[in-house]
Amino acid sequence: MTVFDVYLQQVINGLNLGAMYALLALGFTLVYGILELINFSHFNVFMVGSFVALYTLEAFGLSGQTVILAGLPLVGVLLVTFAVTMTVTGTIGVGIERFLLRRLRAVKGPAAMITTIGVSYILFNIVLLTVGADTHNFANPLPTVTWAIGGASLRLRDVLIWIVSAVLMIALTYFVQYTKIGKAMRATAQDPEAARMMGVEVDRVIMTAFFLGSALAGAGGLIFGLYYNFTSFLIGFTAGLRAFTAAVLGGIGNVPGAMLGGLLIGLVETIGSQIIGASWADVIIFAILVLVLVFRPAGLLGRIAPNKS
Amino acid sequence: MLQSAASLLGRPFAGIPADRRKGIGLIVLAAVMLLFPVFHNNDADIDSMANAMSYAMLALGLNIVVGFAGLLDLGYAAFFAIGAYFYGVFTSFQVMPLWHSYWAPLAAIGLVQKMNQGGPDLVHFTLSFWLALPLSALVAAFFGVLFGAPTLRLRGDYLAIVTLGFGEIVPIVARNVDSVTNGAAGLNGIQAPMIYGHSFGVSATPYYYVGIAMIALLIFISVRLRDSRIGRAWMAIREDEIAASAMGINLVRLKLLAFAIGAAFAGMTGVFFVAKLQTATPEMFGFPVSTMILVMVVFGGMGSVWGVVVGAFILQLLQSWFLQDLTQWVNAFGALIGVHWVQKVDLVQSIELIFGIILVVMMLFRRDGIIPAARKAPDLDFRAQHAEVKRGGFVGLDRIPRWEKRSGNALEVRGVEVRFGGLIALNKVDITVPAGGVVAVIGPNGSGKSTLFNVITGLVPASAGSIKFEGAELIGLAPHDILRKGVARTFQNIRLFPNLTVLENVLVGQHARLRSGPFSSVLRLPRTRVEEKRARDWVLDVIAMFGNRLTPRAAQTVTGLSYANRRRVEIARALASRPHILLLDEPTAGMNPAETLELAEQIKSLHELGLTILLIEHKLDVVTTLADTVIVLDHGDKIAEGKPEEVRRNEEVLTAYLGRAAKEAVMAEAQQAGAENVA
Repeated sequence: MTVFDVYLQQVINGLNLGAMYALLALGFTLVYGILELINFSHFNVFMVGSFVALYTLEAFGLSGQTVILAGLPLVGVLLVTFAVTMTVTGTIGVGIERFLLRRLRAVKGPAAMITTIGVSYILFNIVLLTVGADTHNFANPLPTVTWAIGGASLRLRDVLIWIVSAVLMIALTYFVQYTKIGKAMRATAQDPEAARMMGVEVDRVIMTAFFLGSALAGAGGLIFGLYYNFTSFLIGFTAGLRAFTAAVLGGIGNVPGAMLGGLLIGLVETIGSQIIGASWADVIIFAILVLVLVFRPAGLLGRIAPNKS
Repeated sequence: MLQSAASLLGRPFAGIPADRRKGIGLIVLAAVMLLFPVFHNNDADIDSMANAMSYAMLALGLNIVVGFAGLLDLGYAAFFAIGAYFYGVFTSFQVMPLWHSYWAPLAAIGLVQKMNQGGPDLVHFTLSFWLALPLSALVAAFFGVLFGAPTLRLRGDYLAIVTLGFGEIVPIVARNVDSVTNGAAGLNGIQAPMIYGHSFGVSATPYYYVGIAMIALLIFISVRLRDSRIGRAWMAIREDEIAASAMGINLVRLKLLAFAIGAAFAGMTGVFFVAKLQTATPEMFGFPVSTMILVMVVFGGMGSVWGVVVGAFILQLLQSWFLQDLTQWVNAFGALIGVHWVQKVDLVQSIELIFGIILVVMMLFRRDGIIPAARKAPDLDFRAQHAEVKRGGFVGLDRIPRWEKRSGNALEVRGVEVRFGGLIALNKVDITVPAGGVVAVIGPNGSGKSTLFNVITGLVPASAGSIKFEGAELIGLAPHDILRKGVARTFQNIRLFPNLTVLENVLVGQHARLRSGPFSSVLRLPRTRVEEKRARDWVLDVIAMFGNRLTPRAAQTVTGLSYANRRRVEIARALASRPHILLLDEPTAGMNPAETLELAEQIKSLHELGLTILLIEHKLDVVTTLADTVIVLDHGDKIAEGKPEEVRRNEEVLTAYLGRAAKEAVMAEAQQAGAENVA
């Protein structure tokens, strides 16, 4: 492989990770846009999503690397797995909002955010105590089709991840831009009080945001499993923090910004690891986080957040 | 803790006065703590206690940052790591530079040793534990300022995420800089403390006593800071940053001070912790540790010194004592009923799950923690609740010294322009306030009145123009410097510090006039005591000017006050700084006619004492009674200026207030009346 091929390969890898981070970042951004709340439980909703996906695939009799599907069975299994995972994590997200965060909506200060840290801990430890601390091999039913691009290789898996992420993001953009509840969502993000006066059911809008965000996190969890071929109770924190950085980089509260930020962070991770070593990748990402927040808090595409104080 | 314990046990000890009870409680607590290892000579339990003390010290440090100053720090364990690695590196065999003769002086005082392991001579660092404690506090404080500085401008939740980032970077660095930290394997062979040539060795007891001494010191520092000018300023920042800075608090300095002191506590604890453990690995300082400390602070009560100590002890001992016992009981129960998994359950593993549940439950049901920081004020009796409207201005004015007489103009605003994006909020406005005068600014909503106040007090930047106060330029100064120069203000939509008492709120107004810093506050030097006493007396005099409106409520938090009383507290707070000019933004808004009249007369009596006043007011009768000059703003332009009665007849003012059509109607009516007269 030439140097160019190495970097091309890292771009392919980075786009995979970036797609996953973008899906996760959308959840942060949807909730932040409306509630100005950093939802730490999102980290581990994503992690739980990867396990839901793992067990759904196992329910189809798929485990380890042995069973390979093709054609309609493959499409069917993937569709069902995405649907189940997204429904389960979406429901978890709605539950967190409905039973915990809604009670704290009127409370000023960090109470809601601390609650999400607590919820994150609870999810993390429930998984740790029930499935254990081992890494779990993730089923990979995809046929190993590989195309060579110069020295780099593009696999069917990569293309699939891109297609699925693109479809989900286009669907979300359409939803937020053109549907009635999507418009209500944008109105609520601008001014919840005015939206309520205009007949928007703010509670339902917020629940929808939590459902969508958490469902996308579930999709991200499944993609994590397909990409890395494993999952573990530990994956939420690092991936979550990178995705949060992505949301901030793109401009938190801004839907296209989260997608752009996700792709950029994915590329920074793979290319940065290539240049200065994987163990330092997080230092670069956190440095980006700090620098963006300090020098350009509105992010690349974001508006300057209205000062509600 | 002592207060609530005292109230719980109040009846048996009812004969002992309350302040004595507190002292006695402290002595009993100290005696129990000191004698614990004597009566319970179990090394493992003493060790658990010493560990619990470490966490209590960390909780005290985080409490300063989160509880006092309200800066949510999610990466606090980073400073713990810095202190730990500082001591670890300088007492272990990890870093050993080549020996050179310039090391000799350090060797002479025992900080390094010359060593030979078969190669060239090497330096072995042997930093004393006792010296490492203050040094690590300084090093950690330095990093506290370094990490704190970029976060100063960030809002609460962004601050949390940046500190989280720093909190992650520090362990990653520790994991990757193998040559200094030995990477993921961690530092080993960290030296135990020595005292008079004796090593602490492996027994937990000496650490226990060092821990008691340290925790007592940190509690002492926390309590002294809390009850000082510094603590008040932190809490003011926590409650309302903008109001705090407008009341003369230097946000940058005080936030950095909170970061530095909080970090110093963690740095010292790091030294203690690794000296006891004699090893340091990156895993000991990650996000779970930061979260655990936060759980302890939240559980104990944010801002409550005794609360966080008790919270840390309960959670730590829950983990090391109670859950182990409970696990044995549950397992035995499982054996009894013959259920396999119940025999295998390990509850110690679930401690983090319990932490998560505690966080959520506390946030939902008891946000103030088990021992809330806020003290409950005594209920008011009937007389204090029923204030009567007083006429004739302030009372007790004889206790208030007259303002010194000045001549010329106090405030000169020249060509000031403020833009928000494309909107021109103030367009080349000129305003002059003569010393000792009363000037009123009126104008329709959105005409730029409050923006004028904000630009004078430094809360919004001007894009052009100059604002001179007693000859000195104000543009470019920070709000706290502007207050220091003698410009104090109130806000249109009252900005008090909600969880502070009336007295504390007004005392914050004195902040810029007091000088005691963190050291003199902790030591409570005679100078500090005199200063604090004087400030309190002055503030009580100011409060007393409102008759019995505020004085009986001095110990109550301001959230419970009526709207009019909150306005009065805000005026008292501004007056407490003894300003040269007072800027009142709609002082009578929301008051009934009787209260309005009362306040108008009080403002008049302030003016008679020599205070210069600039006020925004909608009620024209108030303006007419008080003001020498009225200035009218509309859409950012000054459209009229003059005596109240002149301004009332001004055509442009009529248009601005009533609209063009209405003005034309008025004019047409007047013309018609004229025409009829001619006919």
